[in-house]
Amino acid sequence: MNSDQPPGHVEARLDRLRGRALPVNHNARTISALAANPGCARRALMDAAGVDKQKIAAHIGYPAPFGQSRFAITRGNAFEARVKENGAAQLLTLLRDQLDLDVTEVGYTDLGDVGGNLSRELRHVRTRQGLAGQDYAPRTLFDHPLLRLRVGGRHAYLEPDLIALRLDGSFHVIEVKSFPVIDGQADPGSVAAAAIQSAVYVRALRDLVTEAGGDPGRVSHETILVAPRDFASQPVATSLDVRKQLGVLDRQLVRMAKIEALLDPYPQALTFDLDPGDDGTPRRPPEELAAAVALVGASYAPECLTTCELCFACRAEAAGSTGALGKSVREDLGGIEYNAQALALARGQLPSAERAEIAVLLLRAAQLREQLLGAVM
Amino acid sequence: MAETIEALERRIDELRVAVREAVLAGDPALASARRAELKRAEQAWEDALAAVGPQAPASPTQPAEPAGSLLPLREQVYEALSLLQVPAAPKLIATVHEAFFGSTFPTTKVTSLKRDEERSFRTSPFARPYYICAALSVDYLSPSRGLLAVSTWPMERRVIGSLSPRVDFLTAAIRVADAIERIPTPPLTARRLLQRFAASIPGASGEVRDQVNPGVVRMAADAELSVHADADSRMRRQAADRARGQLPDAEQFFGARLQPVTDETGADAE
Repeated sequence: MNSDQPPGHVEARLDRLRGRALPVNHNARTISALAANPGCARRALMDAAGVDKQKIAAHIGYPAPFGQSRFAITRGNAFEARVKENGAAQLLTLLRDQLDLDVTEVGYTDLGDVGGNLSRELRHVRTRQGLAGQDYAPRTLFDHPLLRLRVGGRHAYLEPDLIALRLDGSFHVIEVKSFPVIDGQADPGSVAAAAIQSAVYVRALRDLVTEAGGDPGRVSHETILVAPRDFASQPVATSLDVRKQLGVLDRQLVRMAKIEALLDPYPQALTFDLDPGDDGTPRRPPEELAAAVALVGASYAPECLTTCELCFACRAEAAGSTGALGKSVREDLGGIEYNAQALALARGQLPSAERAEIAVLLLRAAQLREQLLGAVM
Repeated sequence: MAETIEALERRIDELRVAVREAVLAGDPALASARRAELKRAEQAWEDALAAVGPQAPASPTQPAEPAGSLLPLREQVYEALSLLQVPAAPKLIATVHEAFFGSTFPTTKVTSLKRDEERSFRTSPFARPYYICAALSVDYLSPSRGLLAVSTWPMERRVIGSLSPRVDFLTAAIRVADAIERIPTPPLTARRLLQRFAASIPGASGEVRDQVNPGVVRMAADAELSVHADADSRMRRQAADRARGQLPDAEQFFGARLQPVTDETGADAE
C-alpha cells in the first residue's frame, strides 16, 4: 500500500494544505470536473490534497449553491432501479433492440456486496475477479462494480451504474442517466458531463484490467448511455465515443501524479486550513484564507460554474479578464488578457509590436460596429 | 424485567459476534457456552417484547393494513410469492399482490419482515409452517440483495446464479400469464403487469398494443427460457448441493455471512 503513496514530503505538504480536515473523497463527478478545466492549478492542488472546496468557498464569502438536487437524485435512482429491476429486463430488451445483443447473453452479476461484506477493498477484489478473472459462469452484465482510480497519489473508489460485457469479450461501460432524450436530442451539457464520467469509468476499468494482467484495449472507448426517452420513463440507449474525454482525463491525471512540480512554486507554509473550532465552525480569518487561496493561480472559465465549488470566488477574481467571458471570446480577441486592453486597442490606441495584427482587426471590428449601429440609431 | 429491549438487542448483537469469534477461534466449549447465553438473551427479548406490547399479538379489531388486506404482511408476501414460484424483489411482490389479490403494501415494510422472520426462526426453528426467507447467491451462498423466497421451496429454486435473474423473470412471466387465464375478467392491474412482462420478452407483445395475449406471452417466455434453462439449472443444482452440505439450517434459509477475511485467493468464486 505504501508504494502507492506519493513520497513522504509531498504527502506532508498536501496534508498541510488541507489542514485539520479529513480528505474529501473523490467520485466520478469530481474527477470528471477535474478534466473539465485541466489548466487550473488551484483546482488541481486542492483536489490532490482533498480539500473541502465547498467549505472554503463559503468561508471566503462566495458560497456556491452546489451539489446535486435531492429531487434529481431521487429521480435518477428511481429511473435506474426501473431499468435494472427483474434481472435488468428493460436494459436487456434495449440492448437487444438497439445493439443486437445476443439472446443467450443474459448473465447478470451483482458485485454490490461480497457475502454481506460491504468493505470497499473486498468489493474491489471481487470486481477484479469477476471482470478480469477466468470465469466459466456466463456473465454479461455486471452491476455495482467497484473500481478505483489513482488521483494525485490517492485511490478514489468509483461505482459505475453498470458495466456490460459484450459478445466479443470486450467491455462497454453503461451509464444510466435520468436526463431525458427528447426526439433523439438531449441537453448537450448533460451529455458532455455523462461522456466525461463514462471516460472516468473507462480509465478505471482499463487500470483494473491492466492490474489483472489483461489487455486494456479490451475496454472499449464506445460507452453506452441509457436515458429516459421523451417525457416517459421508457429508456433509450445511445452509444458515446469517449476517446477525446479519455485524452483530457489522462493528461490531467498525469499532471496530478506529478503533484510535486505543481506544489513547487508555492511557499512551504501555504495552507487552506479553516482552523475549525470544537463545534466545527471555521475560526480562521476569511481575509487570511482568501489570501492563501489567491496565492494559487486559477484559470476561470464560465464552464466552472457547473463543475467547481469555488466558481464564484474565481469569477469575481477574474472579472475584467477576457477568459471570464469564455474560451471562444478569448480566442476571438487574439489572446488579449483583459477587456480593458481589448477596448483600448479597438479605440485606436497604438499597440505594441506583437499585438499589431490583432489591433488592426479590433479597430476594423469597432469601425464596422460603429457603421452598423450608427446607421440604425 | 432486568434489561430494556434496546439493551437486550445490543446484547444479542454482541453475543452473536462473540459466538462467531469463538467458532472461528476453534473453541467449541466457549462457543456453546456463548450460544446458550445468546439463547437466554433472545428468550428474554421475546419476554420483554410480550410484556411491553400487549396490543401487538392478536388484535383482530385493528387491522395492520388500513387499506386493503386484513392478512398480515408475511401472508400477503407468501400469497404473491406462491403465485410467482420464484424469488422476487419486494416491488414485484407488491405489484403481483395488488394485481391478483387486490391489495398492496409499502415495499419498505418488507425489509424488516425478512429480519423478523430470521429472528423468529433462530429463536424457535421450524415452529412455523413456512418462513419468508432469502434467496442465496451461488458464489458465496450469502443472501442475494433484495430478493425474497419461501422456506418450503427446494434449495435449487432459492439459489441465484448469473442466469437466474433472467430465468426467474421468464418463469414469473409464465406464472402471471397462467394466473390471468384462470380469471374470467382479469383486472386492469393484472393485465398491465403482464404487459410489462411482455415488453421485455422478445416476441411476446403481439401486434396490438394494450392487448397482450397470455398464451403468446407464455410461448415467447418458454422459447427464451429453453435457451437458458439447462445452464441455469446446472449451476443452481451445484450450488444447492453445496448449500445443503455446508450450511446449518438457519443459514440455508437466511444466507451465510462472509467473515471479513482479506485473503484474495481464498474468496474465489466457486
